[in-house]
Amino acid sequence: MAPQGENRTDADLTGEPGSSLHGVTGHEVFPYINMDTVPEEATDLKGRKFSLPVDSEHKAKKLKIYSFARPHMLTFHLSWISFMTCFFSTFAAPPLLPIIRDNLGLTKTNIAHAGVASVSGSIISRLLMGTICDLFGPRYGCAILIMATAPAVFCMSIVSTVDGFILVRFFISFALATFVSCQFWMSSMFNGQIVGLANGLAAGWGNAGGGITQLVMPLVYDLIAKNIGADNFTAWRLAFFLPGCMHIVMGLIVLAIGQDLPDGNYSSLKRSGDKVTDTFFKVLQYGVTNYRTWIFTITYGYCLGVELTVDNIIAQYFYDRFDINLTIAGTIGSTVGLMNIISRPAGGMISDMAARRFGMRGRLWALWTLQTIGGVLCIGLGLLGSLGPSVVVLVIFSIFMEAACGATFGIIPFISRRSLGVISGAVGAGGNVGSILTQVLFFSNQSYSMEKGIMLMGVMAIACTAVLFLVYFPQWGGMLCPPSKATEEDYYGGEWNEAERAKNLHRNSLKFAENSRSERGPSRQEQTSDSAPTTRV
Amino acid sequence: MSAIKIALVLAVALLALVSVAEAGVSFKSLNETLTVQAQIHDRATNMTFFTGLAHVGTDDMVISWALNSSFAGKDARYVNVKIRLCYAPVSQTDRGWRKTKDDLEKDKTCSKGITQQKYVPTGNTTIWRITKDVPGAVYFVRVYAVDALGTELAFGQTTDKAKTINLMEIVPISGRHVSIDIAAAVFSVFSVGSLMGFLGLEAIKQRKANSKAGHFFREAFIDTIRGQSVLREVKII
Repeated sequence: MAPQGENRTDADLTGEPGSSLHGVTGHEVFPYINMDTVPEEATDLKGRKFSLPVDSEHKAKKLKIYSFARPHMLTFHLSWISFMTCFFSTFAAPPLLPIIRDNLGLTKTNIAHAGVASVSGSIISRLLMGTICDLFGPRYGCAILIMATAPAVFCMSIVSTVDGFILVRFFISFALATFVSCQFWMSSMFNGQIVGLANGLAAGWGNAGGGITQLVMPLVYDLIAKNIGADNFTAWRLAFFLPGCMHIVMGLIVLAIGQDLPDGNYSSLKRSGDKVTDTFFKVLQYGVTNYRTWIFTITYGYCLGVELTVDNIIAQYFYDRFDINLTIAGTIGSTVGLMNIISRPAGGMISDMAARRFGMRGRLWALWTLQTIGGVLCIGLGLLGSLGPSVVVLVIFSIFMEAACGATFGIIPFISRRSLGVISGAVGAGGNVGSILTQVLFFSNQSYSMEKGIMLMGVMAIACTAVLFLVYFPQWGGMLCPPSKATEEDYYGGEWNEAERAKNLHRNSLKFAENSRSERGPSRQEQTSDSAPTTRV
Repeated sequence: MSAIKIALVLAVALLALVSVAEAGVSFKSLNETLTVQAQIHDRATNMTFFTGLAHVGTDDMVISWALNSSFAGKDARYVNVKIRLCYAPVSQTDRGWRKTKDDLEKDKTCSKGITQQKYVPTGNTTIWRITKDVPGAVYFVRVYAVDALGTELAFGQTTDKAKTINLMEIVPISGRHVSIDIAAAVFSVFSVGSLMGFLGLEAIKQRKANSKAGHFFREAFIDTIRGQSVLREVKII
């Protein structure tokens, strides 16, 4: 079977804390990338040929976007489409709010509370989903979540009170945890060389669901209200059957034709034993005590958080401020989410390009620049009073903000090797917390008009992005300070105490450290360590 | 350089899209020259009353307006009247989309139009069947006298300046139907039920597969073969 010893495969690490996010970085050459070439006629356990070149773990080494071939590309498409469905249903209410608020008699405070509720549920579910994926596999995790939240979406059709509306939006938001299963599934199917790109595309296209819904829901509502002739207050309820049915369909498809790993499903493959849980607290400890975790939680809160907030408020804002009809307001609002299709992967690529020229310092500056420009444009959006310029600024603002989201995940993998899962979870949750905070501070207050709220959101985004100046990697430097003499091995090895190092438990961190030397930037690449060359099997 | 110039020109052109919005008529400048009365008419019992609850779908509103005799002669430019349903202050609190503004272009107090009639000094009456898209709120009725272009010249309303008397509450439809409730329940049960069914089926299949020892050994054998072929590939054995 897989060679034992130094090069443990993903199967060996199943269940280990944080293992659900290994491979996300795209930089883990050891031991997750196997450079062995496998003959093109590689077959899975059942003897079927793979249509993409695979490594010896049968993870694909290429991404063919137009293909639906099993198992790799099919997984890619199932994964991003189910994530997109969940974003679709979570943000299906905002474009219809002008009708819903009249039906249920909502006040501005009620709407703000509902907006907060719609991003809170996923905090809990994202934290749980990592464990579920580790234990049961991403296929079950995704399908169970998406089909279990379908009743919540159908409940939206029958709400008649303010509290009901808020509760339903809270329960629907649990579905956003498909982000975790999506990323986990990609990491199981794609080789480390391209997993970064695969994850970026899947995350970006999934997030675009928040934009697609703002386009589609008003159209569906119009169709039902005008062509079928239902009353306004009935038509919006019927429109919610669309996201509900999408949930059911995607859940069934994932269960029927999805598979966890290139060779089959978890349940039918042998798994190499349960992993220790007593290191969970160690992993948590190193994640929590690393101050960079909290800095990036704050900055992501004002990056993804701003995007989620805008998803919630923008259709209403345009409808109320500029007196345009519901469908046009929804179309304008949808551009924010739709920009994700290109801007999030582009942000990741910009981060990678900056790293090639300037190392980690380049990544930090790239992130700060993108997010600050996004904040400035947000202020501009709040100050503009006419429709045309507002739309232009909105589109450019969303490009920059979403690129910043993509760039953030270019840096996250390097904060810690041992606690990657915990940190990714914390940062992801931070995005939601930022959205909650923004909606509570600026959009539920009677004293702020919506345009003032948007402007203040931009100011806060710029302020919170400035904490990036405090990030300092001893081996690579910070935004303002050059690196010290510390090495990557010191940094990543430092997460293990003496006893653990004596047992060589930190060998994977050391290997990661060696491969992360690329973050030094080209000027320092010659200073590679003189240690014995690592052997590769 | 030329790319920057093009970008600047585009930016200026886009910013020039700023529509020169002429401010609308100021509400404070209008005189209350019309007297308006509105009553709720219950179609079922055929009773009318001045204030109270009006139910969408079963009640009508009877609105009568006329020129206030103390303003006789001031109506030279009146061509039409616009009758509108307006929110009372209690329904406007914490709802910025119903805000009262002096500029009538931006004012959202009277966003629901009832009807438009030709202006005659002796006035007119209209019976309005309350439509199903009217939200549940407290209302009064306002009548604007407009010129041929639709610009407001004067007004009259059923309530006083402070908007506290003669208010009517309209009770809306809920939008819910029994059929929607049933459909939602059926779909939800189907979703959870099919999920349980799938998981149950897979668990049964798994138990059947595990119970076959031969299958177990076959898997182990295949693994070994694969392992050896990989090692051979990289010339270890």
